[in-house]
Amino acid sequence: MIDTAPIAGDFLSLLAARHLSPIRADSSPAAPVQTQATTVFAFEYSEGVLMAGDRRATAGNLIVTDRVDKVIEIDATSLLAIAGVPATAFEMARVLQTSFEYYRRSQLQPLSLPAKVRALARLLRDNLPMTMQGVGIVMPLFAGLNHAVKPAKAQIYFYDPLGAQFQAVGYAASGSGSGTIRSILSFQERYGKPKPQAMSLGEAVQFALRLLMVASEFDSATGGVSPEARTFATIKVLREDGVRTVDTEQQGQFLRA
Amino acid sequence: MIEEPYRWLEAIGNRREYVREQIKGGSPVFGASLADGILLLGVGSGNSKVFELFDRHALVGLGHPADIEKIRQAAIDAAHMEAFTRAPEDVSLRRLVSFGLSPQLKTNFEQIFSAPFLVELLLAEVGAHPENDLLLRLHFDGGFKTHSKGAVVVASQPDPETAAQSWLAQALADKADRGQVADLMLQAWWCLTENKSLAENPPSEDERRAGWRNAINGKIVEIGWLARQSQRQARFDMLTLNQVGL
Repeated sequence: MIDTAPIAGDFLSLLAARHLSPIRADSSPAAPVQTQATTVFAFEYSEGVLMAGDRRATAGNLIVTDRVDKVIEIDATSLLAIAGVPATAFEMARVLQTSFEYYRRSQLQPLSLPAKVRALARLLRDNLPMTMQGVGIVMPLFAGLNHAVKPAKAQIYFYDPLGAQFQAVGYAASGSGSGTIRSILSFQERYGKPKPQAMSLGEAVQFALRLLMVASEFDSATGGVSPEARTFATIKVLREDGVRTVDTEQQGQFLRA
Repeated sequence: MIEEPYRWLEAIGNRREYVREQIKGGSPVFGASLADGILLLGVGSGNSKVFELFDRHALVGLGHPADIEKIRQAAIDAAHMEAFTRAPEDVSLRRLVSFGLSPQLKTNFEQIFSAPFLVELLLAEVGAHPENDLLLRLHFDGGFKTHSKGAVVVASQPDPETAAQSWLAQALADKADRGQVADLMLQAWWCLTENKSLAENPPSEDERRAGWRNAINGKIVEIGWLARQSQRQARFDMLTLNQVGL
C-alpha cells in the first residue's frame, strides 16, 4: 500500500495526498501543433546573474504572440527561464513557486539551492513520457542563490529534457536561438572587453538585448528587440539581495547608453 | 453523565476555565492596520509568536506551541492548496477562518473527551487599501470577530484584553510610524504581563517604556510586517527593533 501522507514541507506530497498530480499526463498521437517558446539565456555579470528571454511564442510557422514572459521569478532568490512548450513549462513554474514558498513558510527556513535544483529535475523526469513522445518538451534554465558561501553567490543551472542537471560555468542558453547566443557568449568570455563577469548592470543589459537582436536574425522563432516598437525582452537579475526586474523603460535607457 | 444537558454545559464551562487557566501565563500579542501595511508584534523566543501564512496573510498567537503549530500548519496547507488549485488571489482570510479553522476549533472544543486547543490567535490579511485590511481575532473555541481597522490585542484573559485594546486604539490614533506603533504595543505588552491596569491610572509613559525595555532582556521581540505595496508576491517580512527605529 502506498503511503500518501504528506512529507513535512513537501508540497508535491501534499498534492499527492489530495490526489492531485500537476504535471503527469498522457499524450495523444492526434496532439495539436505545439506552441513553443524560445530563446532564453543567463550569464554571470559583476553583481550576480542576469537571466533574459525573448518574448515570442510560435506554433509551427505561426507567431502566436510576442508578449510572453519566459523568465519567471520563482521566489525571492530563484529564477526560472523556460524554453520549450509553455503549457508544461508554466505549470512547472507554478508548481515550483508554490512548493518553494510552501516549504519556506511551513518549515520556517528556505529550501536549500541543491534541493531547489533537484525539484526542477524531478518535474522534468515526471514529464518524461511527454518528452519521449515529442510533446511537451521543456528545457529550462534555473538560477538560485547559494547561501552556503559568504557572500551568497548566484549560480546558473541547465537541464537536459530527461532531468539531468548541470551547473553552468559563466553562462547557459536554451531554445532554438541558443546556438547563436552560446557562440557570442563564448567569444565574449574569451576575447571580450569587458568580459561578461566584469560588466556593470547597464553593460550587461545592453549586451543581453544585443544578443537577442542577433539571435532573432538567424532564428525566426526568436522574437527580436525593437526600441522603436517598444519591443524589449524579459530581463531579471539575481544578486546577493535577491531578484530584481529590469523593466522595459530601463532596458530602453541601457540600450541607448 | 454527559447525556444530561446540564452535565454537558458544566463540562463545557469547566473546559473553558481549564483553557484560560492553562494559557494565563501566555505572552500577549498585537496587530494593527496602518497606512502602509499591517504590523504584528509578539515577544517570544524567535519563530514562536509571529508567522507568515501566505502572500498577504500572517498569524500571531499565544498558547501552547504545539497547538499553535497545528493551526499554523493547517492554515498554510489550506492556503497553498487554494492558491495552487485556483489562484493566489483567491486565498482569503475570511474563507480560511470561517470555513476551515473556526469549525475545526469549535468541533474540537466541544468534544469534551479530547484535549482542547490551548491557543488565542490573531490572523491578518493586508488589502490593496487600508479599508480592505482584515484583522481576525480567533478564540480557542472557534469564535471569531473581524476588524478592518485599528489595533487588536490578544491576551489570555478577556477583561485585560478589552482594556488594553481600547487603550491602544486611543494611543494609536493618527500614528502611522512603525516604530511608534511598536513602541506603544510594547508598552501595552508590559502592562499586561505585569498586571498593570490600562483602564484606570495606567503607569506613566516613561515607566511603561522603561518597563518593556527592561522586560525584553533575554527575549526576542518578533515583529511581522505585511506590506501593502510590494514588487514581490510575498508581502511578509520579519523586522527587528532596529529596523523599526527602536
